[in-house]
Amino acid sequence: MTKYLIKRFLLMLPTLLGVALVTFLLIRVIPGDVVELRYSGDRGAVSQDILDKERARIGLDKPVWQQFATWMWGVVRLDFGTSMWTGAPIWEEIKLRFALSLQVAIMATIVAVILAIPLGVLAALKQDTWVDYAVRIFSIAGLAMPSFWLGIVLILLMLVVFKWLPPMVYTPFWVNPWQNMLQLIWPALAVGYRYSAVATRMTRSAMLEVLREDYIRTARAKGLMQKLILSRHALKNAMLPVMTVVAIEFAFLIGGLVVTEQVFNLNGIGLLFVQAVAHRDYTLLQALVMLVAGMFIVVNFLMDVAYAWIDPRIRYR
Amino acid sequence: MRRTATLSFVILIAVLVAGVLPLAAQDKPRSGGELVFVVPSEPPSYDAHQEETFGLIHPTAPHYNTLLRVDPNDRTGTKPVGDLAESWTISKDGLTYTFKLHKGVKFHDGSEMTSKDVKASYDKILNPPAGVKSLRKDMYDAVKSVEAPDASTVVFKLKYPESSFLLALASPWNWIYKADILAKDPHWYEKNIMGTGPFKFVEHVRGSHWVGKKNPDYWDKGKPYLDGYRAIFISNSAAQVAAVRGERAMIQFRSFSPPERDQLVSALGSKVTVQESPWDCLNFVAMHHEKKPFDDKRVRRALSLALDRYEGSKALSKITLVKDVGGIQVPGTPYATPPAELEKLAGYGHDIAKNRAEARRLLKEAGVPEGFAFTFKNRGIPHPYEPLGIWLIDQWRQIGLNVKQEFIEASAYHPMLKRGDFEVAMDFQCGFIVEPDLDLARFVSSSDANYGKHKDTVIDDLYSRQSRTTDLEERKKLVRQFEKRLLDEEAHVIYTLQWHRIVPHLSKVHGWTITPSHYLNNQLDTVWLSE
Repeated sequence: MTKYLIKRFLLMLPTLLGVALVTFLLIRVIPGDVVELRYSGDRGAVSQDILDKERARIGLDKPVWQQFATWMWGVVRLDFGTSMWTGAPIWEEIKLRFALSLQVAIMATIVAVILAIPLGVLAALKQDTWVDYAVRIFSIAGLAMPSFWLGIVLILLMLVVFKWLPPMVYTPFWVNPWQNMLQLIWPALAVGYRYSAVATRMTRSAMLEVLREDYIRTARAKGLMQKLILSRHALKNAMLPVMTVVAIEFAFLIGGLVVTEQVFNLNGIGLLFVQAVAHRDYTLLQALVMLVAGMFIVVNFLMDVAYAWIDPRIRYR
Repeated sequence: MRRTATLSFVILIAVLVAGVLPLAAQDKPRSGGELVFVVPSEPPSYDAHQEETFGLIHPTAPHYNTLLRVDPNDRTGTKPVGDLAESWTISKDGLTYTFKLHKGVKFHDGSEMTSKDVKASYDKILNPPAGVKSLRKDMYDAVKSVEAPDASTVVFKLKYPESSFLLALASPWNWIYKADILAKDPHWYEKNIMGTGPFKFVEHVRGSHWVGKKNPDYWDKGKPYLDGYRAIFISNSAAQVAAVRGERAMIQFRSFSPPERDQLVSALGSKVTVQESPWDCLNFVAMHHEKKPFDDKRVRRALSLALDRYEGSKALSKITLVKDVGGIQVPGTPYATPPAELEKLAGYGHDIAKNRAEARRLLKEAGVPEGFAFTFKNRGIPHPYEPLGIWLIDQWRQIGLNVKQEFIEASAYHPMLKRGDFEVAMDFQCGFIVEPDLDLARFVSSSDANYGKHKDTVIDDLYSRQSRTTDLEERKKLVRQFEKRLLDEEAHVIYTLQWHRIVPHLSKVHGWTITPSHYLNNQLDTVWLSE
């Protein structure tokens, strides 16, 4: 098991390095730069001298390899530098937004799991009955509706019917739990519903597969109660693919809620991503990509560990 | 009978007084409350001397004063009044401006503001230390020196008289900083706030909001009326509208589009008040003078003659941020073109059939064949660029031109213009004060923003003369000549339609007057809430 974990851990490093290199090069291919955007402004008449001096100040006049080396040296020391747009330390830019995105991701995951697992199991047990059809319609509708669209509908409903709108400013949970929930429950529901649709379908198909296995038939033949068959034998084995889906969706939610965050005016990582791209804020963008890539890699690693823990065949391989 | 008549008279008076009193009470500023407003953009740094975005001005201006300001009640946004300056005198030769400062003005740390601070701030703007940027330094080329002979007097000496100088000092960007801080670290103001303004800084949560609270020691006694303000940063326009509609925010000071205004009015009815004004922003068409056939003024004139600006205004003002047909100055402002004169310029006459016939004749004379094709490069921003671009192409099609539109992503747009990588392109500018010196500088041949690369000594000379004359009528004549040369005789550029600023706000917000610039009138000292 230890050897397996070390191997999986070491594999994370070249992946991160690859992400760093590709990100660094790709964002420099896009035309325009942060200095031009910041200083051309509404008059569009800033002198070339000011632009050149600013480029030199933030290091954009140096060769690309030198910029990469400087940045990587910082990354190794966990120093991502300062935002080219605001001049603030990257960590300062990210920390509040990360807290918000993480909370929305956790809440949406809870919504998704609470909906998906019971519904998926129920649909599998009642296959081809009206219950199954109802669950399938519910989940297909969730897949078909983009979460930002559902968000817009939710907001319009609240505005038109209840003449009420969620708070526009994020309040951390530890400061005021009620205000925090008032703001974040709606995006969590909108995102969680779509997320649950994926997980419901995966739970249903995994359960159907497992319920047809010999060991389930054996358990039934032994006269084991249905409840025990489900909880001890079927569900545990069916959960492996469901866990994968849930984990990958969770990592995606950290940086992937670009439009939903705009709809609900959430000051999250997704919105920061858009701003960083729009401003050509290379340092911030690189840090964000590394953060999200890091989230995916860590979640994958944890999944690998969980797989090995749940399924002994994996760790003995 | 007489008693009844007297009683009736008393009742009538009482009813009239009762009817008038609430109105009077409403007009009297009321203290208290927090103004919540939306800002569609966020400040990159906190130093206005080196920034260019309203995203800084809107949340941050209430912390500062300037030497002069534009009268907050003047809808034209062109009348300078004192801010920190209590009074001023101008020498007869127009070369010396002496300002007397208000006494008892304090920075938010309790220290006294003196002429030393004004001088240090202007020195930073005019001659920034190495490594410090000053974006509008060129506006003060006429200044020879800034002196502070005593604690309450500031003297500006000029190299030559400049008619726009007072308005240049009312620039909303020229915040007065503390001299001692600047002496220690000229970069300090990039990340910190310390002004003399009506509101003190409380917090800025990046990407979220900015909070200010009333300065109880404000030098202008009785102001500000608000207890504080909260600026919420919302980039998405639908979310901005929702914020006002849901009464989570009271106003957004930049502008909403006509459909957004209609949506708010229909949802909120009398709870919303709409203020509108011609906007000191404009899209115009740049034509590359070194590329054929746009080196020929007949072709450039033809492109302007093809535009039916009056019908275009009717249609486009329903869907996007443009409205008035204007010349080189915002309609309704002191140097604006009178309608009768405007109609004499190429493409501004009401007889569109005649204009287009003339356009076709000019094209033929210049050897441009029917169906001539070229690419019009437009900026990839929905409003008002895209509808304006589509309108232009349609208008040019009607004189036999075949135009393809290419959208350039916003951040790549200025580099494209600077490289001169276009035949015909959309250009734009937004001014912070309507003033010929500020609005027309870009058309001087040597300007960095002369993207069409015209070389015209007549234009350069007219610009210089209008700038230096102190006679208002003489200046108006020169501005008209400049306009005729720029838009008609040489048709160096083609003006489209004036942007139109629309600010719907909750009716409980009072004391704020719209101006043609979204950079002006953001100090909030006069704003109050009736509920």
